[in-house]
Amino acid sequence: MSDRILISIGTRKGLFVAEGAKNRRKFTLRGPFGGGVGVYSTLVDNRGTPRVYASSCNPFFGMKILVSTDLGNKFKETASAPCFPEGDGRALNNIWSLEAGPGKKELWCGVEPAALFRSTDAGQSWEMVGGISNHEHARQWHPGNGGLCLHTIVRDGQRMHLGISTGGHYLSEDGGTTFQAANTGVGAGFVPDPYPVFGQCVHKIAPARQVPGRLYMQNHGGWAEWHGPGGPRPEIGVLRSDDHGQTWHSIAKGLPTDFGFPIVVHPHDPDVVFVVPLDPMTRVCPHGAPAVWRSQNGGKSWQKLARGFPKKETYFTVLRDAMTMDELKNPALYFGTTNGQLWLGREGGEEWECVFDSLPGIHCVKVATV
Amino acid sequence: MPTPFQIPRILRSCCDDCDVVRLEGQTVGELLQDLRREYPRLHRSLCDETGAVRRHIHLFVNDEFIGHRHGLDTPVRQGDVVSVFQAVSGG
Repeated sequence: MSDRILISIGTRKGLFVAEGAKNRRKFTLRGPFGGGVGVYSTLVDNRGTPRVYASSCNPFFGMKILVSTDLGNKFKETASAPCFPEGDGRALNNIWSLEAGPGKKELWCGVEPAALFRSTDAGQSWEMVGGISNHEHARQWHPGNGGLCLHTIVRDGQRMHLGISTGGHYLSEDGGTTFQAANTGVGAGFVPDPYPVFGQCVHKIAPARQVPGRLYMQNHGGWAEWHGPGGPRPEIGVLRSDDHGQTWHSIAKGLPTDFGFPIVVHPHDPDVVFVVPLDPMTRVCPHGAPAVWRSQNGGKSWQKLARGFPKKETYFTVLRDAMTMDELKNPALYFGTTNGQLWLGREGGEEWECVFDSLPGIHCVKVATV
Repeated sequence: MPTPFQIPRILRSCCDDCDVVRLEGQTVGELLQDLRREYPRLHRSLCDETGAVRRHIHLFVNDEFIGHRHGLDTPVRQGDVVSVFQAVSGG
């Protein structure tokens, strides 16, 4: 029986693990693990004996995968990290995504430069997935500010959705063997064609698990005021699909800005979705006042959730993997900020409190009951 | 004669905790090829998949940074010692 909450927090200076009871009143913090090295992705795989994984993105000595089998008390490196095959010509710059696969020890890993790797032995060895890594579009993708990264892996039976910045949304319907660009309705603001076939700067994709085919996307918005070639592109930043990602439509109307990084869906209600709108230019809280915005009707309208946040003089960023939600009966939201705060949103984000105030800048947050 | 190749403490877990490994080769590049055969994890920590020395790794032959000589073609001779340093960087 799961009776503890485990939060895995990837930061600029290593991985931290927080553990607390289901009432979420108090969390104890362990870490940093990984020697002060940046962690851009983490995973709490609670199938069977829980395993906590983290990518340790060492600018000196390259990429490592860390794993813990004792709830994040100790970590060790796996035998190897993903690496491009000899003669490929690419070299790993970063590891952006770790997700559990269908097999008991199966992991999928998205990296920079954008490519996908798979492990069937809990991260001890890795094989590049050619269907996307050597896709005919791959050499035409280009890096955004965060680098050319494959940052999102969403599995749905034989379907697999990938988010690539800057590449767009790619869909596999054969378990991750072959992929097609699926970006109908996904806009881009940084190229003349407002709706290219591929090359969008997708920020995050989140599935609504209870409704087959429903997905939400935080895309790179903030182009309403663009008056160059192609004209303004309002409300391209927050999108929804109801056909397994084949087509997308905007649900950004009612938000203060359509720019942001994370998007999170309520684990028990497919119509409840959360975003963190940011000022498109500075990419921090608009007007210095943090707020999470929630829709309870699948994106038709939005409400501001800000009870407990500072009301002014607060300028942080919440990165694409830094917000998540637990799966308890009355779930809570969690997000980490670039200035090292971990916030907890009780009652589905109605009441916010700062759990940790002074961690290193936070890249990613994952939570699980263990 | 094998050339002594000094390993910083932080990487010694990749080579059975040795502070020095001895490598065969006439140039720094050849030493790294030997390192790749003998200690693949250590090699991966110093070089990326293309064989390039990582950006923040500096290799010295005795007191000379190889970037100021002939890079990976820098010759090594009997009595030379090669050392691994982390470049100054961070934040």
